[in-house]
Amino acid sequence: MYKSIDQSGKLRTIAGIGILAAALATASSVNADEAVDYTKMTPEEAAEYMIFESGSFNLSQEMQEGGTGRERMVQDDLQKACSVIGGGKPDADTLAEISKAARESIEYPEGGIKLGDWQKGYELAWSGFGFRVGHNFDNHETREPGGNCYNCHKLAPQREIASGTIGPRLTGFAKDRGTDEATVKYVYEMIYNPHAYFPCTYMPRFGYKKLLTQEQISHLMAYILDPESPVNQ
Amino acid sequence: MLKHALLALPLLAAGPLALADNGKEPIDVLQELLDNNKDSKYLWQSEQNVMMMPDSPAYWVAEEGAELFHTPRGPNNVSMEECDFGKGPGVLEGAYAEMPRYFEDTGKVMDLETRIVHCQVNVQGFASDDPTVKQRHGSSSDHMRLQTYIASKSNGYEWNPPLDHPLEKAFRDAGQVLFYRRAGATDFGCQSCHIDEGKQIRASVLPSVKNPQEWTKAVSWPAIRVGQDNVRSTFHRIRGCVYQMRHAGILGGSDAAIAISSFWTDQARGNPAVLPDMKR
Repeated sequence: MYKSIDQSGKLRTIAGIGILAAALATASSVNADEAVDYTKMTPEEAAEYMIFESGSFNLSQEMQEGGTGRERMVQDDLQKACSVIGGGKPDADTLAEISKAARESIEYPEGGIKLGDWQKGYELAWSGFGFRVGHNFDNHETREPGGNCYNCHKLAPQREIASGTIGPRLTGFAKDRGTDEATVKYVYEMIYNPHAYFPCTYMPRFGYKKLLTQEQISHLMAYILDPESPVNQ
Repeated sequence: MLKHALLALPLLAAGPLALADNGKEPIDVLQELLDNNKDSKYLWQSEQNVMMMPDSPAYWVAEEGAELFHTPRGPNNVSMEECDFGKGPGVLEGAYAEMPRYFEDTGKVMDLETRIVHCQVNVQGFASDDPTVKQRHGSSSDHMRLQTYIASKSNGYEWNPPLDHPLEKAFRDAGQVLFYRRAGATDFGCQSCHIDEGKQIRASVLPSVKNPQEWTKAVSWPAIRVGQDNVRSTFHRIRGCVYQMRHAGILGGSDAAIAISSFWTDQARGNPAVLPDMKR
């Protein structure tokens, strides 16, 4: 039940919370009828119990990527380290570890990084479909999951109003930065695993967690980098 | 016919029926928040909603709830005036603003959803699968009518859920852990969207948990969701967030849901509730 697999696939623990969770997992078979006493637990223990033992979540539902809801709720090392009460960041050493592991996790496409079709990239950037479960499951067999980029970023000027500001503005990205090899590589790596550059960023790990395929990433890259793309007009 | 119309007039002239005794309307509470926070992008994001609030459809839902609340119902044929929402049986003034709270009779920390259900089942005698108990979402559900009515009696009151009982504190603290817990396919936690001020998801400006004057409106549920044409509950909002965060599905009336609402109400403590509110 408990996983502690970091970015490079090696088993690690960070800050003792990993040890606690492991202990909790092995001691876990609590009788559902027994009244649980949250006052005897630390807040972390109570939260873990609420998630995994109290019936608060649909843990047995099958996920689009395989596995069940339970796996979605188990934190990996990065998620644990980046879950700081109050919303701050972990210490500099931990951040450096996260960044290094993220960099090591990056896999590059066969035949090298290539830009795809920016028009497909637009559809993928705009679409917020995919990977949602619970009461209204996103069916990936009938509709392609998107990157939901517009949720957090401003991109094409035409979508100025209905685009988010949680992430930096990307309007005019290639116009401003050019499209040399280093820039193209940077964009790829940011989409694949942005923690390589910004440890504990709120941006998802689209490549590493296989939220997007290599082909989809190539289309999104075109949307950001192709001089013809509306993003760069 | 004419007599009926004449009798109705004072009701219409008085405005929404289900107001709290402080005589405030939700728009009054919101206007004060707006006046005191001119720089808040979150509070100021919808001029249209501010204009529509005095005619909020949620008022009708609250009135329907008032009728349900005060009518003897169920196998035991008693009204919900027999029910204790934390300040004694039948006392609704400011009660919702002090929830979630520990209840002696159940030994549990309960939110409004679970407390209404408890009342329907244990006091009124309804079966738990009776539609009046089971149907939790939508303006036309008894549950939302009751929630909206009961909550409206806390409009303008300061959020003040008790933390005296150790279980109340345990729920609040667990809720804090859950709020900052990053998980799921996209590594999101509540903190991913609700720490910074003035940030947008697409066109919607987000409230910051660090700004109590924004957060007090943020946690003001039940609220009419204009884009969904229905009054929505606290749990409905939590469920929607958990859903968008790509976590596993969260269940209504669950310990985790109550813990999250316990923490998030605590973060609005001392600030006035806008009930029922209006949101996008």
